[in-house]
Amino acid sequence: MAAENSTKATSAEAGSSSLGKKKPLYEASTQYKNWRYSPERLEDVRTQLNAAAVAVIRNTFEADEPGSSSGVAFLDAGEEQLLVKLYISKIPQLCGHFRFPEEVEATAISYLKRFYLKNTVMDWHPKNVMLTALFLATKTTNNPISLEAYTSNIPKTSPSDVLDLEFLVAQSLGFEFAVWHAHRALWGIWLDLQSLPDLSADLRPQDVYEIALKHVRASRFTDAELIYTPSQIALACLSIASPLICQRWADSKSAVSPSSQPLSEVLEDTLGAIKFMVMQAGQPPDVESVREVDRRLKLCKNPEKVVGSKAYLARIAEDEHRAEQKRNKKANDVRRALAEGDPFGSELTDKEKAERLAELDEDDD
Amino acid sequence: MANRTNVGGWLQGKTVRKGGITSTNAHSTRSNTPQVQSTSTTVFGGGVKDSSGRTSEYFSMDDQCPVCKSDRYLNPKLRLLVSSCYHKMCESCIDRLFTLGPAPCPICQKVLRKLAFTPQTFEDLTVEKEVAVRRRIAKEFNKRRDDFQDLRAYNDYLEEVEDLTFNLINDIDVPQTEARIAAHRAENAALIERNVQRDEQYAHALKEQEEIERQEREQRASEARREEEMEREEREKGRREIIDRLETSSKNAAKVIAKSRAEANKRSSARTAADTVLKSNAQLLRSRAAQSTVVPDVPHVPLQDDWYAYEDIYTLMSSYEDPYSEAVRKDREGIMRAGGYRVEEAWERALRSAVMGLDLLPLVGQGISDVDKDPSSQPDVVMAAA
Repeated sequence: MAAENSTKATSAEAGSSSLGKKKPLYEASTQYKNWRYSPERLEDVRTQLNAAAVAVIRNTFEADEPGSSSGVAFLDAGEEQLLVKLYISKIPQLCGHFRFPEEVEATAISYLKRFYLKNTVMDWHPKNVMLTALFLATKTTNNPISLEAYTSNIPKTSPSDVLDLEFLVAQSLGFEFAVWHAHRALWGIWLDLQSLPDLSADLRPQDVYEIALKHVRASRFTDAELIYTPSQIALACLSIASPLICQRWADSKSAVSPSSQPLSEVLEDTLGAIKFMVMQAGQPPDVESVREVDRRLKLCKNPEKVVGSKAYLARIAEDEHRAEQKRNKKANDVRRALAEGDPFGSELTDKEKAERLAELDEDDD
Repeated sequence: MANRTNVGGWLQGKTVRKGGITSTNAHSTRSNTPQVQSTSTTVFGGGVKDSSGRTSEYFSMDDQCPVCKSDRYLNPKLRLLVSSCYHKMCESCIDRLFTLGPAPCPICQKVLRKLAFTPQTFEDLTVEKEVAVRRRIAKEFNKRRDDFQDLRAYNDYLEEVEDLTFNLINDIDVPQTEARIAAHRAENAALIERNVQRDEQYAHALKEQEEIERQEREQRASEARREEEMEREEREKGRREIIDRLETSSKNAAKVIAKSRAEANKRSSARTAADTVLKSNAQLLRSRAAQSTVVPDVPHVPLQDDWYAYEDIYTLMSSYEDPYSEAVRKDREGIMRAGGYRVEEAWERALRSAVMGLDLLPLVGQGISDVDKDPSSQPDVVMAAA
């Protein structure tokens, strides 16, 4: 009964907010709500992230050994992006090796891109993050594989390499695992072409689809999915393969589209931009230039995360110290409570309650 | 209605004793057999009846009367009854204490009457009490969903009823609760009466329907019997006829037999045809009865309650030329379609994703972004968490 109540309430809300017009389904997705950027914003997020990381690492270097940071050439946002792109190009290779479906491949690539919108390469090297993202994607797309089978087929990888980062990756993704992909949209467009009356089977040969699919795969090297919707990307890729078919389909949709703005206007600019992006950036980066970036990354990695370094040891020691303090406090509390008589402690005042709650929140980290 | 007819049941002394969990000693075989016990000395209104209208009484080998301390060992006929204050005592104590009129309960001092003792149905007396309280409450708080304007009001009413019940069961603010119940009764006297009548009518209708069905069944059975009889007679007649014909006619014997057989067959097939008509009549009747009770349920598509699923931009065809799903569609045994997989749904999902968000313009400039509004996504928080 309560459930009935709540659905009524929400439907009333939705009805009143949009004056009876329902919200399109895509706008309910986390992809639309949290992972849609403007190109400028994307650039900005990456620069800020890079600057913040450089500042933190420089501080750590200085704390470790004053003056040591002056000679280090930190990576800039573009170089970070290059490295991520290289590891994006590894995912299709791995997926081919494991015979994972396309869904897994596309999802893992999305995860990797999204991860590096919240973290930087200098903290977390993309090699292991890529393996973790792929492993996570097998699970979230319902193509599970055992961890042993997964790691034993990748050289120089242990289960802990994957598992250690798993929670971090999931957390960086905001636990938003559902991703809408362009390849499914392309499949849908290809199916829908069959309902166009004036487009017979010989006007739409299968190899047009294959070419379009190749471009969809290329689009995964770009930022397209963070800016445009999957259907737009798919249509742009089809347009590269066959502008005529694309035009026909877009026209048929313009006729029935309920949106206020004419569809053809929206599509014209958008498709052009996506096409440009795919042709321009839709290939894996040059290995030589990435190698150079990787060499420099070894020097400017966040030392707190390099096992054995002074900063790493300091951080570990600090963590231990904090844990020790917490343990001591707990032991003291218990002792005091026992001494006061009631082993379960006396009634808390409101102020104490608030303190305890704050402590609990800290424990969650 | 049902209650009223059942009242006669226990007045006539149809009380069945039920063995308790603890009765696993040597006497258990005897104590587990149902015994009909006279209840002429006690008249009560409690106890819970089973579907046949009899009260199953709780009964255990460890029973002991808390008042006189006599137990089943001393008195094999010991029978404990429960007072209106939910204390147990044996029949002889009840006779001793309450024969001369109302007297205080030896345990809690509440004034009790002899008539207010009931047999125990449940091992746990709190359950006994809860059942009694709920039965009492249900009699007066019998409003229905259609007596309220909206679901909200009905839910509030149900909650209030539950509150009152809880208070009565746990003896919280009893005078106040009783006052509330009395107020409710006064306010809604007409409605309560109407609902009682409605319930009775419903029960009556149900009973009538059952009666009709029963009669129909009987009729069918007698019909079948009669038919069988007829068939036997006919067979007998046929056999006699053959013999007669064989006696009188000078034709070939085999031909005569074949002819009579064919006649018999014709007759029996006519009969089965009449039969099926009868049967289909019965089926029609039953399905009509079922229709009258089942409220049509509109299929609910949760996706489309609040969301626009682009259903007007695409049309799903009944079949596509699609190399991807070829294996599934060609799978004759349906192994790949196990678990309810339907290729049409995969197609629809693809079509929907082909048109969804087609008209969305990309964001421009520094517009809305999650980084600003969501502090937890700041990178240093994530780093600390690792």
